[in-house]
Amino acid sequence: MDLLEYQAKEWFREMGIPVLPSQRIDRPSDLKGLKIPYPVVLKSQVRTGGRGRAGGVKFVENTIDAIAAAQTIFHLSILGELPEVLLAETKYDADREFYLAVVLDAAARRPLLLGSFQGGIDVESAPELLQQVVVEQEFSPFYARRLSLKMGLQGTLIQSVSSIVEKMYQLFVQKDLDLVEINPLGVSSSGKLMALDGKVTVNDRAIARHPDIALMAEKKASRANSRYPAGMLGTWEEVAAGNVGILGNGAGLVMTTLDLVTDAGSKAATCLNLGHGRNLNPLPLAFGDRLKQGLEFLSQNKSIQVVLINIVGSIFTPGEIAEVIANFVQHQEEHPSVSKMRHAYPRLVVRLAGTDLELAKERLAAVQVLLVENLDEAVEQTVRLAKVPAKR
Amino acid sequence: MKLTPESKVLIQGFDELGSSTHAALMKAYGTNVVAGINPGLGGHTLNDIPVFALVEQALAVVGAVDTTIIFGSPYQALDAALEAIAADIRQIIIICAGMPPLDMVNLLRKAETTETLIVGPNSPGIIVPGKILLGTHASEIYTPGTVGIVSRSSTLTYEIALQLTQAGLGQSIGVSIGSDIITGSSFLQWLQILDEDETTQAIVLVGEPGGNSEEAAARYIAEAIDKPVIAYIAGRQAPVGKHWGHTGTLAAVVGRGANVGTAQSKLAAFKEAKVPIAERPSQIPELVKKALKKGGGGKE
Repeated sequence: MDLLEYQAKEWFREMGIPVLPSQRIDRPSDLKGLKIPYPVVLKSQVRTGGRGRAGGVKFVENTIDAIAAAQTIFHLSILGELPEVLLAETKYDADREFYLAVVLDAAARRPLLLGSFQGGIDVESAPELLQQVVVEQEFSPFYARRLSLKMGLQGTLIQSVSSIVEKMYQLFVQKDLDLVEINPLGVSSSGKLMALDGKVTVNDRAIARHPDIALMAEKKASRANSRYPAGMLGTWEEVAAGNVGILGNGAGLVMTTLDLVTDAGSKAATCLNLGHGRNLNPLPLAFGDRLKQGLEFLSQNKSIQVVLINIVGSIFTPGEIAEVIANFVQHQEEHPSVSKMRHAYPRLVVRLAGTDLELAKERLAAVQVLLVENLDEAVEQTVRLAKVPAKR
Repeated sequence: MKLTPESKVLIQGFDELGSSTHAALMKAYGTNVVAGINPGLGGHTLNDIPVFALVEQALAVVGAVDTTIIFGSPYQALDAALEAIAADIRQIIIICAGMPPLDMVNLLRKAETTETLIVGPNSPGIIVPGKILLGTHASEIYTPGTVGIVSRSSTLTYEIALQLTQAGLGQSIGVSIGSDIITGSSFLQWLQILDEDETTQAIVLVGEPGGNSEEAAARYIAEAIDKPVIAYIAGRQAPVGKHWGHTGTLAAVVGRGANVGTAQSKLAAFKEAKVPIAERPSQIPELVKKALKKGGGGKE
């Protein structure tokens, strides 16, 4: 979960990382009660990058200008994201700008300290300027000093920058982060440091063990107002503007199925992973219920004409899976009123593997659904059905 | 790596819900499950398996244990693994999904200094078809044979095993290293184990986007592996950033080039290492047969 800048800076302040005096603005009229002195910078609080170039950051000298600027920024969508709050912050003139980050690195399997004496940059475009230190063992401040020296810092800056890196690392561990970044870190002519912008990503897996972060995640989710809360069905992803739905158990298997369908010339709209159905923690619904709701979920998408179900090696046997699918089809046929939502339900192609395939075949045949044992053939069948024009 | 039916196996996070069912499946397959651990159920017996509150209590009764398999809450997996290491268990398989990666960092620091092999997290473990099941693999799909499978996914491993089984090719070992950003054992370690394994004659490596472990594996195969290897990469057509719960596909690799981690980068690495690449699972059996013929069933 990505935090907004103002949330990241609240954490920085708690850790003793220097940040500017600032105030959260929920609506333009809040600026009448501004407690920090002008000139002030108003910043759109969105998660996407490049907000400065997009016009989401404005300098203002007085209340009238501030309110006008705030109204503009509140209505400015940046890469599809509208801000819910703005941050009003004291203007700061940095002499130099550095880049600092702590990130989890998959290759080193350790946290990595990153730093550059040229901050404010788009780091991905200039990786050669980025210095790295792997935190191999238990953290100790020498790792931070190692980074400072690699960055080419001298004199008192070695110690002052190291101390900020140390605090960033503490935050990283305390809050279970994937990333904490300060970019830029302002350096004044007298060598004073200031975190001018910050980015924090909390690891999604760890949110539930931090009550404060869980609360933030809950608020964010309720704003998104999604009908199927994440984790209820499994994990689904909108893929492309296609007419095939893919439903499988396990991410790898879903990706393979998506590859095969795409290679055969069809486009998938949504791919849903029900979870592999062998692990007995922690999804709230049983595998059969997830399958049923997953079918309902994909059927509600009007662009989906064919759903390819590919389930391999779940504790649920093919016979049990076929029972769920057949009941779903029967329910649709018996309740045509539901179909007001769409002109025709998607066709189903079912591919299963396991012990009682014959039983599964019979059960599905009773509702005119074909069970295809061979994966390549199931894909061919799916693509063939997807090419038939939709019933109107 | 000790993978014989005699090796003693412990189950941590042992409960009435799922792990005791899986323990019973393992036992039925021939695995020597000697005890379960659950702090609240010490002294009980579940599915004919004695339960202890602490690992050290169990070991006092059943003797030294080769492997422990960790089920249960992902937030308790680190503690369970540290408890096992403290009791001198050197092979740990973590089944549970959802373990925070910083817990894995802490565990790996400890595991590396004690030379403990960690498989997982978020892994179905290891199967030696016909001999031993250490985890949750769908054992009915496997048949004994000479093809080793190493993968990052669970059900996709079964898919590959199924294709091989249907083509008359049995398997020597099936293992998934897990699909998280940070995993214990690596492709490199398993390539080495399979290369040294006497039963294995060919290896199928199944990768997916994220991280750089396939790229590293490709280089390692070219340098150090004598047995034929076939590679297959899932997720070529998956939009970047879509992962269906495999957080490993999002794994950041810093400063190793912008392209590292994509399916395309992995395919290019295997091509450069002259490793035959299967475009789809159904192509794997014929590539394995071809490689075995070429190598005369053994070394090239």
